[in-house]
Amino acid sequence: MGSPALAIAWEFRQRHRWGLIALAGYLFALATIRLVIITPGQAVNLDAPAHFAVVVVVPLTTTFMYFLAVFSFGLAGDVAARQSMYPARMFALPVPTTALVGWPMLYGTAAMASLWLVSRPLILWPSGFDIPVIWPALLAAALLAWAQALTWMPYGLPGLRVIVATLWLAAIDAVVLLAIHYKIREAVMVAFLAPQIPLAYLAACFAVARARRGDVPDWRGLFTRGGQIADIVPRRRNRFPSTSGAQMWFEWRRHGRSLPALVAMVLPFELAMLFLARRDTPALVLYTLLGVLLTPPFMAAFAAATVRKSNPHARDSYGLTPFIATRPSTSASLIAATLKATVLSTLAAWLLVLVAIPLALTLSGTWPVVTKRTSQMVEVVGTLRATVIMLLVLSGLVASTWKQLVKSLYIGLSGREWVVKSSVFLTLSFLSMIGPAAQLLIEHRSARVALWNAVPWIPAVLVCAKMSAAAWVATRLYRSRVLSDRTLITGAACWLAAVLALYGLLVWLFSTPNLPHYFLALVAILAIPLARLSAAPLALEWNRHR
Amino acid sequence: MTIVAADNGSVDRGGLPDSVITVSELTRRFGGTTALDSVSLSLPRGAVYGLVGANGAGKTTLIKHILGLLRAESGSVRIFGLDPVADPVGVLSRIGYLSEENDVPGWMRVGELIRYSRAFYPAWSDAYAEELRQAFALDPSAKIKNLSKGQKARAGLLIALAHRPELLVLDEPSSGLDPIVRRDILGAIIRTIADEGRTVLFSSHLLEEVEQVADHVTMISQGKIALSAPLAVIKESHRYLTVRFAESGSQPPAVAGVLRWEGAGEEWMAVCRGGSDELRAAVAGWGARIVAERVASLDEIFVAHVGETAVSGTER
Repeated sequence: MGSPALAIAWEFRQRHRWGLIALAGYLFALATIRLVIITPGQAVNLDAPAHFAVVVVVPLTTTFMYFLAVFSFGLAGDVAARQSMYPARMFALPVPTTALVGWPMLYGTAAMASLWLVSRPLILWPSGFDIPVIWPALLAAALLAWAQALTWMPYGLPGLRVIVATLWLAAIDAVVLLAIHYKIREAVMVAFLAPQIPLAYLAACFAVARARRGDVPDWRGLFTRGGQIADIVPRRRNRFPSTSGAQMWFEWRRHGRSLPALVAMVLPFELAMLFLARRDTPALVLYTLLGVLLTPPFMAAFAAATVRKSNPHARDSYGLTPFIATRPSTSASLIAATLKATVLSTLAAWLLVLVAIPLALTLSGTWPVVTKRTSQMVEVVGTLRATVIMLLVLSGLVASTWKQLVKSLYIGLSGREWVVKSSVFLTLSFLSMIGPAAQLLIEHRSARVALWNAVPWIPAVLVCAKMSAAAWVATRLYRSRVLSDRTLITGAACWLAAVLALYGLLVWLFSTPNLPHYFLALVAILAIPLARLSAAPLALEWNRHR
Repeated sequence: MTIVAADNGSVDRGGLPDSVITVSELTRRFGGTTALDSVSLSLPRGAVYGLVGANGAGKTTLIKHILGLLRAESGSVRIFGLDPVADPVGVLSRIGYLSEENDVPGWMRVGELIRYSRAFYPAWSDAYAEELRQAFALDPSAKIKNLSKGQKARAGLLIALAHRPELLVLDEPSSGLDPIVRRDILGAIIRTIADEGRTVLFSSHLLEEVEQVADHVTMISQGKIALSAPLAVIKESHRYLTVRFAESGSQPPAVAGVLRWEGAGEEWMAVCRGGSDELRAAVAGWGARIVAERVASLDEIFVAHVGETAVSGTER
């Protein structure tokens, strides 16, 4: 290897050779179909979005995500950490920062552009579709360059990288989607996208230079003042009443404040919209309130990354630290403490929301908009039903926030890197299917009819899958003695009671012949967490005793 | 390989099992690497056991099995007669452990660490914890992440000791401690605990440290126990000889009892196992004479048993 450029290229190739071989295989298959199997002039029926999605969109989107992760070194680091994800070992190499940034960015953008330029002539495009040449390649390259810059940037708060990267990349995407919608000429698109790469390069140079000199901003102090005040409260100096109390305190201090902190960061910006809206734009007031109410469950999805990680303070470790693993507590007690801390975290986040909303409505003078809409609702459905609906929606949002925090607990607590990364890959693959599926439903009435006809079966199949998984987890819990018989029976009884209560409520609220009761029962079964939550103690046990 | 450590006069202690640690035919593989290979070990109560080995020899893997952090693939591990995986509370509440990684959470303050830790141990002594805190000069309001490496190790040691554990497990305890602190604090604590009839198992590759405090030494190499015996027996049974041959040679002869040769020309140094008289006679048979003889250090014995660069003797 004669130069740093070759050494960096060799590292990418060596570490990701299997993924690259799989990609080469996919492109080879496309080329074979295009050049050998299909004779020139033969009609290809790939107009159905579902077919197109399976053959083209899913593999290309997956490859796109894979390239993003590979070339930003995202597979080896902690995306929620404050520190740069650029490998620290490379900071000691005797090469300038511009080279540390430039070579990976060059390889990444070239790979992205090549992916488009190679696959475009090989893909079987639906008929009547005008496929541009240059700007999709530039878009892919620009997205990768910005992903690198934002990934390598050190941040002042844990989790901030995820928010900034998601918003920034979505903003670029949104501009492009608008341009497509308004059929902007390719030259304009190229003019917009081409400068993105040098801009991203400059940002990445700044980020890596900062990380290289160990300059990581720390804004956590903004949120510790409250903790310091709490520390001087006398009762905090007392002995913990029990091991579970001590462990719950530990879990709360470790990650319980993440969600309230994230919500507290976002709320002021959201509620500021009320001051812009005033009374003459009631729709904006209501949309703002809707956004605020959806903030805790949305932010919980990000905060869950710290909750589910068994060792949130280690950048590269998924395993349990010996400090926690050697606590003289059962795995069930450790999980119970985590769950209690997440409940506290959820309640704290919602307390903030429920205090901030009335305050902002009062100060902005937009209370009358809300009062008017509430009165209209009461007139339509009655006071009791309106109250129950509002309480149910609020409870649902609170429960959803908590569910977001704990639903993937079992994945992180397994402590296996391959489990965590596989779940991320599957989630991204699933998300990439949503767009084509939505398009299919929007454009084809037959698809909507088919979906409607399958509606009773879809939840039924999901319930079967959920109950099978729950039965397997319960059997393992019983055999491994991770949970006592009493806990297992109590847990099952509580779950059943919650399902019945929700079912009763749904029947009362939606008593219409168009909605059969068995469907409501299926919804109730699916809504109350069971299998994934029960798997958390098993995952921790698997992690703790390897 | 089965090694039963010498029982220092252990008798029935009110129904408690005499062996604090019993490991039987324990094997553990990580992929294609065999980290532990049919290891058997029985450590009676009331002594200081030094577990020595090179980096990657399997010391930490063995300790992790003892703590229940690793599940035995084959063989069994019993601590106080209990399975540490099946009964973590029963085992871990009686063990004090200082990790090699020294992974006490950095966000905690020293006072919080003490307050948190004492909730888990019924035998926690506030007075002893305070005594240790003062002896280690730890400020209760100091954050762990702001402590020096040595101070962090002291904080870890404090919570490992303050509940007066029946078994103290120290994995490379000397990392982060300067020589003075290492000798004074660690030695005193290990001795104190051993004197009280408690048991200490500590791993190290610093053999001088082991030599100072251990009653019993187990040498582990490539996942196997190379030697396990009371320190005094090991020291008595090994000699370090300087041998002068009549003619110079590039290879020393194969002499019964010599574990390792080192040197060149006419003068060679040897680490031997066995009595002096037999060795003297064996060396004389090769036309050589012993010009110097002393007790071998543990370091020399360890290298002789597990060192890869040992020169084996040849026919001259």
